[in-house]
Amino acid sequence: MKVDFKAHFEGVATLALAELLPGERAAIGYAAERTYFMRFNNGLVRQSGTVEQSDLSIKLWKGAKTYSVQVALSGNLEVDERRVAGAISDARAVMPLLPDDPFQAIPESAESSDARYAGSLLPEAEIPARVLEPAKGLDFTGIFSQGQMCRAAANSAGARHWFQTETFLVDYSAWLANGRAVKSSYAGRDWSDAEYASRLQATRQSLGNLDKPEKVLDPGKYRAFISADALNEVVTFFSWNGFGERGIRQGESAYIAMREGRESLSPHFSFSQDFSIGVQPAFNEEGELSPECLPIVTKGKIENTIVSSRTAKQYGITSNGASDGEDVRSVSIVAGELAEADALKALGTGVYISNFHYLNWSDVQAARVTGMTRFSCLWVENGSIVGPIKDMRWDESLYNMLGAKLEAVTRERHLLVESMTYDHRQVGGNLLPGILVDGLSFTL
Amino acid sequence: MRNDLRRLLDAATTAAREATWLGLRRRRTTALYYVARDGAFEQAISGFDDGVMVEVMVDGRFAYGATPDMSPEGVSRAALSALTAAKAAAGRSIHSFDLSVRPPATARYETSRTRKTSRAPDDVFAFLLNACGALKVSDEIIQTTALVEVGQYDYEIVSTNGADIEQTIHYMGSSLQAVARRGDVVQLRTANGPRGLTRQGGWELLDTDAMIADARRIGLEAVELLGADTCPSGRRTLVLMPDQMMLQIHESVGHPLELDRILGDERNYAGGSFVKAADFGTFQYGSKLMNISYDPTVAGELASYGADEIGNLAKKELLIKDGILVRGLGSLESQARSGLKGVANQRATSWNRPPIDRMANLNLEPGTTSFDAMIGSIEKGILMSSNRSWSIDDYRNKFQFGCEYGRLIEHGKLTKTVRDPNYRGISRTFWRNLSAVGDRSTFAAFGTPNCGKGEPNQVIFVGHASPVCAFDDVEVFGGGK
Repeated sequence: MKVDFKAHFEGVATLALAELLPGERAAIGYAAERTYFMRFNNGLVRQSGTVEQSDLSIKLWKGAKTYSVQVALSGNLEVDERRVAGAISDARAVMPLLPDDPFQAIPESAESSDARYAGSLLPEAEIPARVLEPAKGLDFTGIFSQGQMCRAAANSAGARHWFQTETFLVDYSAWLANGRAVKSSYAGRDWSDAEYASRLQATRQSLGNLDKPEKVLDPGKYRAFISADALNEVVTFFSWNGFGERGIRQGESAYIAMREGRESLSPHFSFSQDFSIGVQPAFNEEGELSPECLPIVTKGKIENTIVSSRTAKQYGITSNGASDGEDVRSVSIVAGELAEADALKALGTGVYISNFHYLNWSDVQAARVTGMTRFSCLWVENGSIVGPIKDMRWDESLYNMLGAKLEAVTRERHLLVESMTYDHRQVGGNLLPGILVDGLSFTL
Repeated sequence: MRNDLRRLLDAATTAAREATWLGLRRRRTTALYYVARDGAFEQAISGFDDGVMVEVMVDGRFAYGATPDMSPEGVSRAALSALTAAKAAAGRSIHSFDLSVRPPATARYETSRTRKTSRAPDDVFAFLLNACGALKVSDEIIQTTALVEVGQYDYEIVSTNGADIEQTIHYMGSSLQAVARRGDVVQLRTANGPRGLTRQGGWELLDTDAMIADARRIGLEAVELLGADTCPSGRRTLVLMPDQMMLQIHESVGHPLELDRILGDERNYAGGSFVKAADFGTFQYGSKLMNISYDPTVAGELASYGADEIGNLAKKELLIKDGILVRGLGSLESQARSGLKGVANQRATSWNRPPIDRMANLNLEPGTTSFDAMIGSIEKGILMSSNRSWSIDDYRNKFQFGCEYGRLIEHGKLTKTVRDPNYRGISRTFWRNLSAVGDRSTFAAFGTPNCGKGEPNQVIFVGHASPVCAFDDVEVFGGGK
């Protein structure tokens, strides 16, 4: 019998909150999934199977003490009640031995929410045939995943939130014998063989651009059109050493110079944390809600930062419902004026960048990032595709890429859903345009 | 069996009678994580995880069902789910395996510890708060962080063809960090880079006196960097300390030698490899000074173990000998698919992910050059330590790495300190320019819990030990916009 995750969460959360003694407060976060994974290579199944899992995080406060417990749950309520009770008992024994927490922030939020999105997914016995057969003839590599994902939170102030969705994702690349590939994906809640076939047809057509002689670029500065897929890799740097308030105040953010007015991004560049794009819940693990839309950068200047309750307590400012890590969630970059259909013409001569790979800070304080081009990046001359480029390393400050060198932002935006599966299938995604940059620095 | 896994295997076997083979792989994890920041409490977290992956074989195809429900009913459901997946893949499997890739091995392994009793939370926090104090050597230090993580992994494997494996890994990781600021210059200095100090062992690894002394050095070096010039640009001899060699070996040797990357499994995510199957036995990877070993037997190194997670017994193997590539990082499954020689390295992040080819301990064997002799032989060079940035292409060719701390080498002497040192190159060219390998006195082991790979994604423990090394003619440069 499959676990009813909602009933399971209600059971363990109710028990945990009911067990609290006078003076104790708690916040409870919950994540659960039932997922079918199929990894494939060369159009054949490499590994496949199912994963069912759920876990609970409990943050406990008593007096000036704070302690967190993370407990994997079995799915059996009787077993899990014992586990949760044991975890709280153990926490009570440890807490008196901890130093006082000077920035203890106990949630006072008592809102509730309940969002459930049903899906029409593939029968498990049909998955290899329905996913791989339409790709016959392609050197087709990647992963298919589908199933239910749940996130929930509750706290002793009375908050209770539930988010449940059923989704699928085919995250794939199709390869030519010359080592070039097109990367794409098909994601949603309701599987359609016809839509999937259409996506694969577009992939087959794109492969045609890669079966041409490879252009080898010398290091230097090039005009570049960065697609929404490639820009999605850059968005990571809004969270990592990013726009979290604490990192800015404590010297770890790349945007200190921006905050202090020494740097800015382009007046054509604005983005928000925007949960209205509908791919992840606005509550955090402590049951606090973020505003549906929070502008972070407006016309190149910082308008808001990401502030957790802990940071708010430490610096005497107002929280905006962030998690402790102060990551930006559901990034929505404001659309510009450039029609995607005109992107190559606007690029003129330069590089069309389909995907980036393995980005990292090369100098955090200068907001300088290095990375590689990957998959179907193309050399364009006078608005026409010439052929693929040999992959190049680039190294550029975001104050240039999204600042002085940003020439245009596309009118069209693409919803790119989260594909990461570390620990769990992760929820989330970003709504992004493509951008045109004049003078991206290629180095190797 | 400690946890009666054999009884659960019987239940799974009864449920999935069509399977020709079944195996159960249980993983139980406990962990504690304590953090202080700026001389005050920051976080205290305990974690617990437990579950089992049921694996079935049907007509040469494997499939899995992973569940945290350790009841016979729960494991039976997982077995049936795995059976459905295995049957659904009929006619579409990448390889027809036999049971040679699931050996009936018996193994017992437990991390060697000299101090098995734990220290109380107030004792650990007293150290962390002291460490913050030691890191804050001046008012220019604007942030201090000290962290200790300690944990235990218990693995058990049983199978219908007789595998019987129990392994317990005890580990401890620590991190010390200081951020310094003077005007617009901000510098971060850590103990051996992000999470580089993770090792197998017991509470003896919490050597508080040594760590407090190290914290003071880190604070002083963070302030020193504020007044340092930025790293000059140009080509020169690069000397890497072992805490950066860890990253260099990991990214430009370890990943390209993984046979699953060479077979194409990772092309959609982590990437392929510039190494081809035909290269084994002949390809000159580096200079003759380069000897790389896969060695899961080093006591205290983070990825030591007795058997991998499909039951292949682990033993030391040389992968690169005198600069020539001789063996890959490939499990029994990858060896069966490729026909190449490999090692016991099919590992998983936990019970909820299938094992794949991973790195384990990958070490550069010591050479014969003393540190002083190495520096003394360099006319124009730079020494770099402690990783802070890492990026490499999907074939593991073009890399760019950055370090926290650099010192110029001029006319055989270490001279002034420089900040924001970076370097870049191409893997094979870089390793062929390996010009000196330090002796055993320069050898040190590090480890990180954060190696990411695979679809679905997995992180795993890896260990890397290396002497100090010198590389000729490397492009180095500094920071700035």
